[in-house]
Amino acid sequence: MKQASVGRDIALAVGAFALLAILPLVFPNKSLADFVVRLSAFAVFATSLNLLVGYAGMVSFGHGLFYGLGAYSFALMLQKLGLSVPLAFLLTMVFSALVALVIGAICIRLKEIYFSFLTLAFQMLLHSIIIAWTAVTGGDQGLTGGLPRPPFLGIRLDDPRHLYLFCCAIMIISLFVMWHLVRSPFGYTLRMIRDNPRRTAFLGVQVWRVRLLAFVVAGVFGAIGGALMSLFVSSAYPDFAYWTVSGEAVFMILLGGMSVFLGPTAGAAILLLLNDTVTKLTEHYSLVLGIVILLFALGLRKGLLGFLVEAWSKRGAQTSAPATASRH
Amino acid sequence: MDFQALLDCFSSASCVVTQTTGGLISGMLLFLVAAGLSLIFGTLKVVNFMHGSLYMLGAYFAYTIYNLTGSYALAVLGAALGVGLFALIFERFFMSRVYGSDVLMQLLVCYGFILILDDAVKIIWGAEFLSMGMPAAFQRPPFMLAGGIVPAFYLFLIVITLAIALALGYLITKTRMGKIVRAAAINPTMTSALGINTALVFGGVFALGGLLAGLAGALAVPVRSLVSGMGFSILIESFIVTVIGGMGSVAGALVGALLIGLVRSFGTIGFPLFTEGLMFVFMTIVLIVKPSGLFGKEL
Amino acid sequence: MLKIEDLRKSFGGVAATNGITLDFPQGSLSAVIGPNGAGKTTFFNLITGAFPPDAGRILLGGENIAGLSAPEIVRRGIGRAFQIASIFPSLTVRDAVLGAVNAHLHWHAKLARRFPLAEAAAQTDEVIELVNLQARANTLSGNLSHGEQKLLDIALALALDPKVLLLDEPTAGMGSEERWQMIETVYQLWQRKKMTLIFIEHDMDIVFKYAQTIRVLSYGSVLAEGNAEEVRRHPKVIEAYLGAHFETAKS
Repeated sequence: MKQASVGRDIALAVGAFALLAILPLVFPNKSLADFVVRLSAFAVFATSLNLLVGYAGMVSFGHGLFYGLGAYSFALMLQKLGLSVPLAFLLTMVFSALVALVIGAICIRLKEIYFSFLTLAFQMLLHSIIIAWTAVTGGDQGLTGGLPRPPFLGIRLDDPRHLYLFCCAIMIISLFVMWHLVRSPFGYTLRMIRDNPRRTAFLGVQVWRVRLLAFVVAGVFGAIGGALMSLFVSSAYPDFAYWTVSGEAVFMILLGGMSVFLGPTAGAAILLLLNDTVTKLTEHYSLVLGIVILLFALGLRKGLLGFLVEAWSKRGAQTSAPATASRH
Repeated sequence: MDFQALLDCFSSASCVVTQTTGGLISGMLLFLVAAGLSLIFGTLKVVNFMHGSLYMLGAYFAYTIYNLTGSYALAVLGAALGVGLFALIFERFFMSRVYGSDVLMQLLVCYGFILILDDAVKIIWGAEFLSMGMPAAFQRPPFMLAGGIVPAFYLFLIVITLAIALALGYLITKTRMGKIVRAAAINPTMTSALGINTALVFGGVFALGGLLAGLAGALAVPVRSLVSGMGFSILIESFIVTVIGGMGSVAGALVGALLIGLVRSFGTIGFPLFTEGLMFVFMTIVLIVKPSGLFGKEL
Repeated sequence: MLKIEDLRKSFGGVAATNGITLDFPQGSLSAVIGPNGAGKTTFFNLITGAFPPDAGRILLGGENIAGLSAPEIVRRGIGRAFQIASIFPSLTVRDAVLGAVNAHLHWHAKLARRFPLAEAAAQTDEVIELVNLQARANTLSGNLSHGEQKLLDIALALALDPKVLLLDEPTAGMGSEERWQMIETVYQLWQRKKMTLIFIEHDMDIVFKYAQTIRVLSYGSVLAEGNAEEVRRHPKVIEAYLGAHFETAKS
């Protein structure tokens, strides 16, 4: 592992932001800007899930819970409580952390597929609460009337250009923080737990605590993804908490490759493109997506970025063959 | 929450009877689905994430066969066998290819199938709610029990599912086939070394699980409306049932399913907004007290 | 350093550990031997908190650690390597050891700091050098040979700078030459670090050559203890264990 300087990463992040900021000036195209804003929500969401799936080996199939939770709590704080955007954002993070702490404490007791399903079950609980609690959530209609987005620090989110820059900034910051976590000792502990939890315990690590922490961190960033989406659509819908959101996020991870940090972001971009293209051609998006997923699951397994990175590293590689080691 | 309504119900025999029979039939339908899920998991150590879609297929198959032939018996039989066959094909050609890989891949294959089937149902049968109505044979006055109404079909449903539960229990614990299935579950390599075709066992178990789900779907048609995506909520409920009862245990699935059916039925009176939540509270308590489920062995 | 007092554990009514009392002085090098099923690995499992003992005390520097969880015991200074090398297949040797070196950090330090930490890197290099894996530092652990994986397993235990190091059959599954190399490496690192080292071993030549004291377990109890000479001459040992073992070893 080479010592990568923080300074270089900050420069990269600033560079990426500058690039995104210039993009609409070069291509003044509304649908491109909208695409980037939607991507910001899904990139943060899918990457947060990959902290669990790819790094910690915890296959959550209910991560959409936090997407829905983030969207609804952020939107409700703006709409019903009239909070300012930064405060609502902060409180959304705190609230989702608390929820993740409680649900995580129950779910991480279980292994593998049980964990997957229990997280999924909790997500469907949130979904049914959203549907049933019409007085607050608007039921199946979602939140109506739009979100008030009071200006703060000179940022007016009612202005699409401001919204664009804001979402890009949040995406870059979130990805940067998660990148840092992945490179921190915490990130290494996660990988150790993924490979061999028993050995990790015999190295002095309280495995359940690290798993819980990972669950909470992923939950908070998942909620940020949801909050960005609710800003974009100026509402929140029960679909945000429906299980297919989790399924799509899992697929994004696999599509881009979970062994590469930006894999989920790439996967999110590909899936959004696919979605936009297919929905233009046919109303049977699920059918097409299902077939794509099957082709992928039974064929190309390492994800697109994973595949490219492997091909790249094979070129100059004097290191031994790619990891064929089993997971357990 | 409406404790008063719940108390009122408990003090009236007719309300108790109505809610109990309602809870029992949801519980029994749930049992059929959960038992298949549990059986497949117990043998293959795979959670069939598209099990709810099999239930949905069963319902739609029965609907179509009934409309074509007018015979509900034929509809139930045809749906069960059709879905069993479908499950077999699914296992042989798709699922069996990802047994060796991650849980993630198994989830993904099932996820793909759920999406395809949901859309396929929309294309074939339309996106609107369908309902078949009560078959002619059951269009008779309901039984009255302590002032509560018990439709004839409810009785039929409870009796037939109970019979299936008993047959299934017998099949697993007493027959040679059950022994092979249990052996394959414990040690697949050893079993195949002994000359038993594990592929056949796995396919057979999947087909049996599918058959049960299809049967549940067919039996549900007269009392439930049909819509694309209807399988998902029963999948989640079945999963909760198997967690409560213990994965791999048929008896556990029965007890868990009846408990959930009754909790839901009385929950709609006492906690109309929180019926779903009630199941989760229940499941969480079981998980904390006995993580392997009421009838489960240690994980 | 490590004192075991009347340690007991049974599984389903069968006593796997039946009142073991042993004392391992600071800086000593001892071997635990005994026929298969004598309860050697169970003994290690009890000391390291894999499961709690039914009765008895485990004193580490005077503190009773019996009943603590595995991570708590490890943090108090007992490191362990396994009979079947227990490693992290998808991490390189260096990353795995680095991870182990950092395993004891508090969670906030883990979150806030960036990998690899300079002081941790120095310690990592030292540990890798102790087990002679420098040349393989950037290899994926899963691609190491069997012997190298066993060395890495020991390195992981060393990463925490343990006061007591437990090695469960460090030479298991190796050819004769490789065994002697392995035990020599273990011996060297013991000489350099002077921790209390206890190893389980089947090869009597190795045991008699390297161990200062030998504890013989049989049916979950201590059959004999002493130096090589004493154990070799112990009538009970000859009767219960050595005779049969040498016969099979020769054939």
